[in-house]
Amino acid sequence: MDKIAALGHSGISMVISFGRAGRFLAGVLSGVPRPVTGFPLLMRQLYSVGVLSLAIVVVSGLFIGMVLGLQGYTILSDFGSEAAIGQMIALTLVRELGPVVTALLFAGRAGSALTAEIGLMKATEQLSSMEMMGVDPLRRVIAPRLWAGFIAMPVLAIIFSMVGIWGGMLVGVEWLGVFEGSYWGNMQASVDFRDDVVNGVIKSVVFGFVCAWIAVYQGYDCVPTSAGISSATTKTVVYSSLAVLGLDFVLTAVMFGNF
Amino acid sequence: MGLRSYISLKDVVFSRSGRRIFNGVSMEIPRGKITAIMGPSGTGKTTLLRLIGGQLRPDSGSIMVDGHSVPDLRRKELYSLREKMGMLFQSGALFTDLSVFENVAFPMRVHTKLPEDMIHDIVLMKLEAVGLRGARNLMPSELSGGMIRRVALARSIALDPELIMYDEPFAGQDPIAMGVLVKLIRDLNSSMGLTSVLVSHDVKESLSICHYACIVADGRIIGAGTPAELENHPSEQVQQFLQGHPDGPVPFHYPSLAAAEDFGLAGGVS
Repeated sequence: MDKIAALGHSGISMVISFGRAGRFLAGVLSGVPRPVTGFPLLMRQLYSVGVLSLAIVVVSGLFIGMVLGLQGYTILSDFGSEAAIGQMIALTLVRELGPVVTALLFAGRAGSALTAEIGLMKATEQLSSMEMMGVDPLRRVIAPRLWAGFIAMPVLAIIFSMVGIWGGMLVGVEWLGVFEGSYWGNMQASVDFRDDVVNGVIKSVVFGFVCAWIAVYQGYDCVPTSAGISSATTKTVVYSSLAVLGLDFVLTAVMFGNF
Repeated sequence: MGLRSYISLKDVVFSRSGRRIFNGVSMEIPRGKITAIMGPSGTGKTTLLRLIGGQLRPDSGSIMVDGHSVPDLRRKELYSLREKMGMLFQSGALFTDLSVFENVAFPMRVHTKLPEDMIHDIVLMKLEAVGLRGARNLMPSELSGGMIRRVALARSIALDPELIMYDEPFAGQDPIAMGVLVKLIRDLNSSMGLTSVLVSHDVKESLSICHYACIVADGRIIGAGTPAELENHPSEQVQQFLQGHPDGPVPFHYPSLAAAEDFGLAGGVS
């Protein structure tokens, strides 16, 4: 009986947590944007979550593209179709790996940093002092970070895919000798802008929003102690990763499922 | 105190996590005076400041600040009222990514459209008032605990508030820093005519500067009046707190089983 009660309790807690996260999001998004004060804050956050994530995204994209090139060549050459390596790499990256791996990297690099920063601001009463100065921290601190994640993620995913395609070319064309014209030509013929590129960007927009939402909410809602911040940072990475992988399946089924 | 009250609390009841913090607290805080709220640690003194500032809502009772019922204010009205309040947090709560200058300039940049050269002059004047004009380019991580509180004080008076609330301003300060803070609180009150609410358990320092004081314990006010009235207060609990006696109405021992039972001697020594 205790176990059933505990299960019910954790279920209710989860629903309450979802409700709080929803109200929090409504509070963040309900404010009227103030371009003069808001734009510099947004730019600073775009630099922090976007530009500073570039290094890890570019390096990861390059290596994943190179691995795809190697694996693709090995498999496709068995069937004498190594010329199709370009389309394989491009479709894999643009449809799946670009948005998903970028989102996972984003959650680990930028999401955890956002949570820790906001949690520490809460623990050191910076958010409270802002409230007491008549400044709403949801609009001043949270909103720029949420929008920055939302904007930065699709751009990072596109950069990831581009670098990956270039990395695949380095291995496939420059190293293993696939004809360059086939690499780019097959890619151009098989990658559809609307079905592949736009769908990939839509995925990364959704992932960006969800990862940034989880990160800022966990920071804002954390217990303001060192253990609480540590736990919130872990939750950000775990929940974001699970949400990205789960949503990826749903979005893939809707976009490419042919129902 | 009637019209002279800046803050008025009546029958305030507040609970958190199922625990009753205040059980019908009423008090009047006079305009333009320093009122100290004292009491043992954990009695909810900081919570009282958060109730006055509208960061928490009472379960019942009324909280009036300058004629406004704080729990009933809409979000926008509350934020507007807070522009007339300053609060000095126990930790200082400076923004760690901004310099001393930018911390003090922050409220002005957000709430006013003053030109940059005027903000510059006002910030320097506020920093001069707390003796830290020369530290304007330092970052909060480069300041001592006492300096952090002085910068936070300069920031909380940046918009010339009517009310300033000090949350444990003397906690953890060395004697010199404490002396500086006592002087600043007294000087700011007399020169700016501020209504000041001082939450502290440092009895000597608080009573030396306040006009009125009240002592909170067990969810209610156990004594209130001028420092002289409190010193002659008949309540044993008030006297224990003021004199710092280790035992009295607040017992030295945490409630426990009888010693013999706890040491396993209840059945006698075999």
